[in-house]
Amino acid sequence: MRAIVEGLGRAAGALAAMCCIAGPLVAAASESPAESPAAVSEAELTRLQLFVAAPYLDLHTGPGRGYPVTQVVARGESLDVIFRRTDYLKVRTARGVEGWAAARDLRDSLLADGSKFTLDLGDRSGYQTHGWELGAFAGDFDGANLVSFYGARSVNDNLKIELSASQYLGEQRSGYMLEAGITHVLAPEWRLSPFVTFGGGLFRVDRDAQRPNLVDRADQSAYAGIGARFYLTRRFFLRGEFKERIVFTSRNDNEELKEWKVGLAFFF
Amino acid sequence: MESRSRVLLLTRPLAVAAVALVGLSGCATLKWPWWGRGEAATSETAPTAVQSAEQAEASAATQAPPRVIEPEVERRTIKRTRIDTENFELGPWYGVLSVEDFGTNPAYGIKAAYHITEDFFFEGNIGRTTLGKTSFELLNPGSDPLNLGDERRLTYYSLSFGYNFLPGEVFIGRNLAMNSAFYLLGGIGSVKFANDNKFSVNFGAGYRVLPTDWLTLHIDVQDRLFESDIFGTNKLTNNLEARIGVTAFF
Repeated sequence: MRAIVEGLGRAAGALAAMCCIAGPLVAAASESPAESPAAVSEAELTRLQLFVAAPYLDLHTGPGRGYPVTQVVARGESLDVIFRRTDYLKVRTARGVEGWAAARDLRDSLLADGSKFTLDLGDRSGYQTHGWELGAFAGDFDGANLVSFYGARSVNDNLKIELSASQYLGEQRSGYMLEAGITHVLAPEWRLSPFVTFGGGLFRVDRDAQRPNLVDRADQSAYAGIGARFYLTRRFFLRGEFKERIVFTSRNDNEELKEWKVGLAFFF
Repeated sequence: MESRSRVLLLTRPLAVAAVALVGLSGCATLKWPWWGRGEAATSETAPTAVQSAEQAEASAATQAPPRVIEPEVERRTIKRTRIDTENFELGPWYGVLSVEDFGTNPAYGIKAAYHITEDFFFEGNIGRTTLGKTSFELLNPGSDPLNLGDERRLTYYSLSFGYNFLPGEVFIGRNLAMNSAFYLLGGIGSVKFANDNKFSVNFGAGYRVLPTDWLTLHIDVQDRLFESDIFGTNKLTNNLEARIGVTAFF
């Protein structure tokens, strides 16, 4: 967010240059302000300061392993962390040079009080302990195609609070579901870890071939399910589950519908 | 409501799950407050400058090889250190969508993305277009054989995974270098038109340029496939979409 405010000035310059308006003029104006140490802003004062403890630190020109290394920071020199994108951190050295450092390379750096700097790297330990999850599924819902999206917040390693939005698209009927639930991962430290889940929400029918004159389109629903998650690599895991769902219809009988789905999810 | 909760507990799988959950161990490890999870664990407070200098010397003496010259850098006191992560991307796009049998028409929408690693991202899209006239309607002005009336709006969404296939840099003149990437996209979603929803599969490619660290310009071309039975028989349709977009990272 902070970078947005700071970048405004340079964005204007860059955009103008792209539109080929007065190229040389803008080129002169868009020279990086980092190279001339300007007044220290409020944001800069609150930035995290790190000290390189490894023999040296590579600074890339972009947030990726393939971007060329144009600067090297020596041991003991300080860095300001501007922001983080995926597993790369944009940093500014004491000399005002900006570049991208791999999070992995910063593991050995020190904080201003001499203590070790730690950050999550999106590895196997993050699979066990993390704050958020997002994922998308494809599957089958009572014979209909199912598209589903979910987000989860961890209460602890085992317990997650989930929100999901699903759409079922079948020959007979289609509609969507919005649900909230609780998931308990039985052994989060295992690579393949089973879980149980239950919750409920809103069940909506948009079209039903068997009941064309549907009056009551929205009903409440509750579900219970079992599933498993399998850690792939970095921040990714596979997730598959089976759910038994009850729809509390306003008709005389409640509906019981089976759902299975598999998908790809990630944590952060 | 009472009968609903009774049904809930009487139904076997739900009851089993409820009992299982109550008896499970994870609840016991619940720590309060639980919402502070997943944040970078960095030091909360920092000691005074004198203390930190002493500590730094002490740690230098024990761990690192002896330094000849102590770097003269000002050590700041930090109250709270939290790294600003900018992995989300959000913005509008505008382009054209060719809907099979209905011509090519302007389309617009919003896209949101989350960058998971340097290689992969997750993307959600919502779009809308207005259907053109079919050949039959053009040859027979005033006719409406599909009974579409005013229902000529087509709305769609998709959830995709993207892979930064060719990351790189582009240069404009001598002083401007911008990060860029050519990426591949694939996903699933749904299309709504003529009072019906259809399951869709999409795949394509795009190109992204970042004039600044937070502003992104996109060009995307995707094929959106779905089965349509609007002309009586079920057939798989290919619907090409080309668009430009602007997003901001936050």
